[in-house]
Formats: sequence, C-alpha cells, structure tokens
Amino acid sequence: MFFFKKKEKKEKKETAPIVNRDELLAKAEEKLAQLDGKEGQDRVAILNELGSLYTQAEETDKAILYYEESLSLNKQHGKASTDLMKLYNKKRQEAALAKDDEKVKEYMEKVQGLMQMSKDMIRGNA
Amino acid sequence: MIVLNFIIKNILTQAAVVVGLIACLGLLLQKKSIGEVVSGTMKTILGFLVLSAGSSVIQASLAIFGDLFNKAFGLTGLVASIEGINGQAMTDLGLGSEIAITLAGIFVVNIILARLTKFKYIFLTGQALLWESTLCVVFAYFCGLRGVPLIIVGSIVGGAFATLMPAFAQPVMRQITGSDDIALGHFCTIGYMFTALISKLTGDKSKSTEDIELPQSLSFLQDTYLSVMVVMVPFYLIVAIAAGPAKCAEYCGDTNYIVYMFLQALQFVTGLYVLMAGVRLLLAELVPAFQGISMKLVPDSKPALDCPVLFPYAPNAVILGFIFTTIGSIIGMFITPLMGLPMILPGVMSNFFAGGTAGIFANQVGGRRGVAIGCIAHGIFIIIIPALLSPMLGQIGFVNMTCTDVDTVFTGFFFMIIKSIMSIF
Repeated sequence: MFFFKKKEKKEKKETAPIVNRDELLAKAEEKLAQLDGKEGQDRVAILNELGSLYTQAEETDKAILYYEESLSLNKQHGKASTDLMKLYNKKRQEAALAKDDEKVKEYMEKVQGLMQMSKDMIRGNA
Repeated sequence: MIVLNFIIKNILTQAAVVVGLIACLGLLLQKKSIGEVVSGTMKTILGFLVLSAGSSVIQASLAIFGDLFNKAFGLTGLVASIEGINGQAMTDLGLGSEIAITLAGIFVVNIILARLTKFKYIFLTGQALLWESTLCVVFAYFCGLRGVPLIIVGSIVGGAFATLMPAFAQPVMRQITGSDDIALGHFCTIGYMFTALISKLTGDKSKSTEDIELPQSLSFLQDTYLSVMVVMVPFYLIVAIAAGPAKCAEYCGDTNYIVYMFLQALQFVTGLYVLMAGVRLLLAELVPAFQGISMKLVPDSKPALDCPVLFPYAPNAVILGFIFTTIGSIIGMFITPLMGLPMILPGVMSNFFAGGTAGIFANQVGGRRGVAIGCIAHGIFIIIIPALLSPMLGQIGFVNMTCTDVDTVFTGFFFMIIKSIMSIF
C-alpha cells in the first residue's frame, strides 16, 4: 500500500515458550505482584499479560477476570478481545454440557456484548 | 368446530398473531414465568406491527424514487435493501405467517443437521436468519408451493444454508482466528470466499493491512441512519434534478421538487429506522429462546456468530475492505445496465459489514494487495449477483428493490434451478 505510513515493527524477542502449567502460574503470580499501584496503560499491559498467562494455563475464570478489567479500562481491538471471545465460548460450552441454562444465557450475552463493543469501536462510538 | 374455524380464519391468518404464538412457544419451552411469557409475546406482536409500519413508509418512498428514476434515465433503478424485501414480503405479499414459522423451522433443521452430521455449526445471527427465511418462503411460493409443503421445503433449504455456509467459510475462519472454536454466521459467505479466492490469486500474504497505520474508526458511520441518509439524499436529489420539475410535479404538487425529494429520501431513512426497530423487537424474544434450546440440544456445537466477531482480528482490513468494496460497488452499479439489468444502488451498511468482513478474509490470504483487488471484485460481485435475481423478484412483486446478502440471493437461484428441473418433468 503506497500511501500509508508503515508501523515500525517491534523486534520480537525470541524467548522459549512456557508450556509448563506450573511455570505459567508462577509467572502469573509475579505479574500479579506487579499490578499493585499500577494505573493507566501500565496496568492494562499487565492485565493483558495476566489474561494471556491464565488462558494458556487453562485458568479460564481468572483469565476472563483480568481481560474484562483490561477492556473496561481500555477498549481496544486485539488479543484481549479475541481471547475473551474464545474464553466466553468455552464457558458457554461447559455450561451447555452441565445443562446450566442460566450460565449458557449469561455467556451468550457476554459474547453479544463483545461483538457490540467491536462494532462500536469500528464506528468510533466506543 | 366453530371454535376451530374461528381460530383458522381469524388467528392463523393474522401474521402478527402467528409470530406472537411462536414467541410464546419459545418462552414456554424455556419455562419462563407467566408474566414474562405474556410480555414477551405482546412485544413480539408489537414488533411485527412496527415492522409493517416501517415497510409501508419505505415502499411509498421507493415507489416515487423508482418511477422518477425510470423517467429520468430510461432505466430501472433498484435500491439494495434486504430489509425492504423482508418488510414487503411479510406485509403486502401476505407471507408473514409463513416467514415466521419457517424461521422457527430453520432453527429446527439447523439443530437436526448439527446433531446428525459432522457440521456442528449453530447459526446464531437472528437477523440473517430472518432474511434467509424471507427468501426461502418467497421463492418457494414462486415455485408454486403453499401452506405446509412451503414451510417444510423453506425450512429444509434455509436450515441447510444455515449449517453449510459456516462450514464453507471455516477453512479461512480457522486461519483468521487461529482455532476451530468459532464460526461465521453471516449470509454473505459466498462473497467472502469469492473475495478470498481473488485475493489469494493476486495478493501477497506477507504484507498485512495491520502493518500500516490507519485511523482506528470510521467516524462517519457513528450513526447508522445518518450514514444511510448521507447516501440516499444525493441519490434522490440526482434523480429529481435529472427528471426535472415537470416530471416530479405529479408527486410534489406545489412543493418545490428538490425539497420534496429531499424529504422523500428522509422518508426512506425513517421507514428503515422504524422497520429495523420492529425487526429488533420481533427477534428479541424469538432468537434467545431458540438459541438457548439449540445450545442445550447440541452442546458440542460451534457457534456461527455475526461478522463483528472478526473485527478485532484485523481492524485495518475492515476499514480498507469497506473502502474498496464501495469502489467496486460503484463500478458494479454502472456495469449492470450494460448487461441489460437494472441499475443497483448500493447500500452503505451492507458495504460496511460485508465489505469489512471481506477485507478480513482477503487480508488473511492475500495481504494488502489482496484486499485492494479482492474487495473491488467483491463490490462488483455484490452488485451483479442481486441484479441477476432482480427480474425474478420483479415478477414476484418486489419493485424498486433487491436483496443485499449474496447467500440469500443464491437461495433464490437454488429455488429457480429446482423449478427449472421440475418443469422438465
């Protein structure tokens, strides 16, 4: 595309992926400790990291908690909203298997809420 | 017997009442309280009546527009509005009951197919299903079906589309979302896959739209109806000026013809606003009822969600997809008269949602260049395809408008093919 400025690509630091659940949880604990006193974009960045770590560790409820707080502070398209959609879907599926109608409805409404937020952001209404 | 006759003649012929009864059934199946059942049923009936009112306003405005367009340019001009098609089908064509029952039937067939086949997709976008139900019923009616056979055939065809269209898009969806958990429930899928094909052939996947800086929102789209107005007012004024005051006098009387057509454009937007308010009320009770039931009956299903589910993955692609689809649709607008077809005036909201999503598909397989070329092709595609269906829509009674969502147009083509095959025997 000729007319648009290219974003400066940040060099991706090559780190070994953390696959061990205990390591993920330990890393999350470290990040939690850093959360105290943080405000604004710094807080959002740590919340997103927490959401990502707990998602990988399959701690769905905690991941949802931190991602939701992140989006309430800073509505932005990105990993938080895309991961949150998958997490809500996972919880919805668990509720459907457990025949918990209220929870199915709750998570379907959360999915609709995320999609509405997405529409509003593209339109500049968020 | 008298009671039965009364019910058949006075209740089941009233589309508003039938729609309310379906909502009532859904609410009862969810074991809602009596208060919730009554209020939900009444709101659904009200939704249908509001939809009818909006449809009347749209049709009145488009009748004037269509006639003056023809007088001004010697061409047939059609506004692309699936909402208008739905409104007219449910009211003027008297197919409201059949459309509502077929909508429920589509849910049922979707659930059956998801349970019994490997295509575990449950289509959750209520509005899209209403449009699909409309086209299924309209074309089944055009093929000569009536009553129960019409509803059964419409439900099977619509249910098949609702299950298979998400499956068709899923190979690209998996690439976009990085997983197989979520599917796409938007009846423009054939257009998206066409765009992806063009993009794959012409693009460069390594150069993504997300690598460039763009404004993060399209602020002129902040208000849906303002956006539609921004497009419709110029169309109406161009037609007025081209037709001239003499030809407009039949409609505007003593009022200045430019002022009159300006107000008629706003009437169209008003009608659309009212119709969509009615659709939302209508679906507000119906859709959650059936969504809840389908999630329970097919717990391992993949939800097929509305297109904004993809926006967070590539927001720049949404904006560029909209822009290039609009360019393509304007090109398409001038191509169709050369093919002997009506001129189709593109819809801004259709270009936004369908164009934006096409942009995401195109970017995934062909990068920025794929978005530009693929979405221009998409814009032409979403104008030509509805134009091809418009002669049949005209025969059925839809004057001055045509469909937008291309999968619903292909539903019409499907019925036409079946009709042609049946006529051989």
